[in-house]
Amino acid sequence: MSDSQDRRAFLKRSAAAVSAAAVGCRPAEARADTPSGETSRALPPAILRAVAAIALPSELGEDGVERVVRGFESWLAEYRPVAEQVHGYGSQEIRYGPPDPAPRWRAQLEALDGEARARHGARFADLGPEDRRTLIESALGSGDEAGLPDRAGALRSEHVVVGLAGFFFGSPEATDLCYRRRIAGGTCRPLASSPEVPPALETAGDRPAPRPDTLGRGRPRPDPAASPERGLEPGS
Amino acid sequence: MPRVVETDVCVIGSGITAAMLVAKLADERDAGVTVVEAGERPAATGDRPRLRERYLAYGENPWPGDHIDGFTVVGRPHGFSPSHTLGGLAMHWGAVTPRFTPEDFRTRTLFGIGDDWPLEYSDLDRAYEEAEARMGVAGDPGPEHLDPRSAPYPMPGIPLTWNLERLKEWGERTGVPFWGMPSAKNTRPYGGRPACCRHETCWPICPIGAKYSPEFTFEALERAGRLSLLASTVVRRLRTEPGSERVAVAEAVDRTAPDEPVEIRARVFVVAAGYVWSPHLLLLSRDARHPDGLANRSGLVGRHLAGHRGVNAFVEVPFEVYPGMNGQHSLLSTHFMRPDPGGRYLRHDFRIWESAVGRGARLRDDTGAVLLGDEILADWRERTRGRGTARLRGYYDVLPSRESRVTLHDAERNAFGDPVPVVSFADSEASAALRRYSEETIARRFRETVRAGGGTLLSVRPGDSQEHPGGGCRMGADAATGVVDSYGRAHEHENLFVVGAPTFVTAGCTNGTLTMAALGVRAAAELGREFPAREA
Repeated sequence: MSDSQDRRAFLKRSAAAVSAAAVGCRPAEARADTPSGETSRALPPAILRAVAAIALPSELGEDGVERVVRGFESWLAEYRPVAEQVHGYGSQEIRYGPPDPAPRWRAQLEALDGEARARHGARFADLGPEDRRTLIESALGSGDEAGLPDRAGALRSEHVVVGLAGFFFGSPEATDLCYRRRIAGGTCRPLASSPEVPPALETAGDRPAPRPDTLGRGRPRPDPAASPERGLEPGS
Repeated sequence: MPRVVETDVCVIGSGITAAMLVAKLADERDAGVTVVEAGERPAATGDRPRLRERYLAYGENPWPGDHIDGFTVVGRPHGFSPSHTLGGLAMHWGAVTPRFTPEDFRTRTLFGIGDDWPLEYSDLDRAYEEAEARMGVAGDPGPEHLDPRSAPYPMPGIPLTWNLERLKEWGERTGVPFWGMPSAKNTRPYGGRPACCRHETCWPICPIGAKYSPEFTFEALERAGRLSLLASTVVRRLRTEPGSERVAVAEAVDRTAPDEPVEIRARVFVVAAGYVWSPHLLLLSRDARHPDGLANRSGLVGRHLAGHRGVNAFVEVPFEVYPGMNGQHSLLSTHFMRPDPGGRYLRHDFRIWESAVGRGARLRDDTGAVLLGDEILADWRERTRGRGTARLRGYYDVLPSRESRVTLHDAERNAFGDPVPVVSFADSEASAALRRYSEETIARRFRETVRAGGGTLLSVRPGDSQEHPGGGCRMGADAATGVVDSYGRAHEHENLFVVGAPTFVTAGCTNGTLTMAALGVRAAAELGREFPAREA
């Protein structure tokens, strides 16, 4: 067997082991929520929604935030850990996706709740926005990374708040919200309308909603092997 | 006993060059064609929307299993990706289809550097046209003196987006003309495939088949009964007839039944396996009469690997650019593909894309403070208001050294016990001496563009990788200068052809796929003469 075969097998094995280890590290009360020892991808719904109200923009409205959270839950539920990843142009390396982030993210949400009880004597979901924000900031610490990941990259987020924010802000919907225009990146749009400036988003009702039958598509993104430093983007 | 397959033409590899060659042969000649592909068939067209969804959601490979474990390359194989699948590396291509310019084929004669090809642009013009028609290229021609063509594109070009219209105006303030990059993407229904509707995932997967890829050609020919396909079949050796230089047999192994060898017997053999695997196969085919491999008495097999390097820049422009309008479409200029009169040798293309680099949402501001919810959105809006980002790139040609080559590893073996290839690129002395000048001049031209158009140059970075490489079985007028002639026929074996990228003398200074495809068309015309014309 060649070195490269050895390496691929090793990567598959070690990614699976990391995932299993993360499950093993979950607090006992969290593991007890999981029927018959299976790995549940479900995150505590109330805590997740209380986080989302802080991490997502209020312009989405309550319904919009709920829609994004449901999309996030579906996206996480459909994830297949350690699946083969797209390979970048010019790279012969076969890469695999990260271990399942759900156990880690679930533990983090539960930790936020535990911290809320310890500091404020109340559930995280019952705290006011300022207190929730303070706890989230504290949990995020002083990381070096300023940027948010794109949707696929959000799976690798160390913290669930970054994962949720990356899930949303890496979407075409968020780009449209930023520019207040219906660009609708990555959706099927007639070529003939290409030269037109994207129409303005004028009302909340104009906001594009993800198609319900999708996994919550991310924005089409650069070659994952690329970085601004390498300067590679698709269509090269 | 081996399983024997008999055919008229055995094509090894199923990338875009093979597709063009096979399509022309099937249309015009009464010849049985068998395509041998080491990989498997890609996902069916109907499954591609779902695969695209998973790619967007999770980064999953939309062509899972498009490689064979252990079939790797030692060294640094630029521009090389796993591509063992029906359709080859073109299952991953971005479908941009510029032509080489007339100068690309005559650098020695015109500029005293590099080597001329044994053909000229005018020899390839009709083959370019035919390849464009067969795959379906959409394009609007550039200025005639920069973009010579004897016929219009098969389809009108992809419309410039609002972003690209602004960037064109911005880029042209230096007097350099830009136009839309021609692409093998339908702007109207064509070839039984629909028009593009800007899904923006041309790379790595078009969900609707608006982008051409080779499996469409192979599958259509298969349905029509004009092609046999042996998938999952690895050709390990070519063998000549005893006492003759004609190739008689391709020895292969079916990966689904590895204990039963396969022998493919044919009148003509075509090696169309890319710049690594094509010379690799010829080198593996060594025997007592050919101790250095087939077609290699000159010692040229595996040599003269050539690509182009890029200089990349990101620019802040003084107007909003809306990311996602058609992010894989770009502007092209060939203005700099002729050297300055009296100046040092430098030829490069110039492309401009919309970009979102440095303009995405972020979690922390410049002071490191955490941003959440509305703060993220407000910060994002502030950083994009009234300005945008563009990406610039210029490819310049790297002229190869003879020592830029594919060889056989002396120890490492693949699953069948064959030596794996070792790839090592090297610039010619003249090209190496020009590298710094080339990179600095392109960077200066980027700065001039920004100065004229307005904005700020955010970064400039010369690349080290040689993109879109070719060579390894370069064409030459005779056996002393090339492995094959200008049609791809091996000088030493009358019934052996090598086609596409490996036959490149140089890799030009723009994407070479259309040139590979045109060479496939040209080879089909030549080898097809050995078979009767097909009755309509």
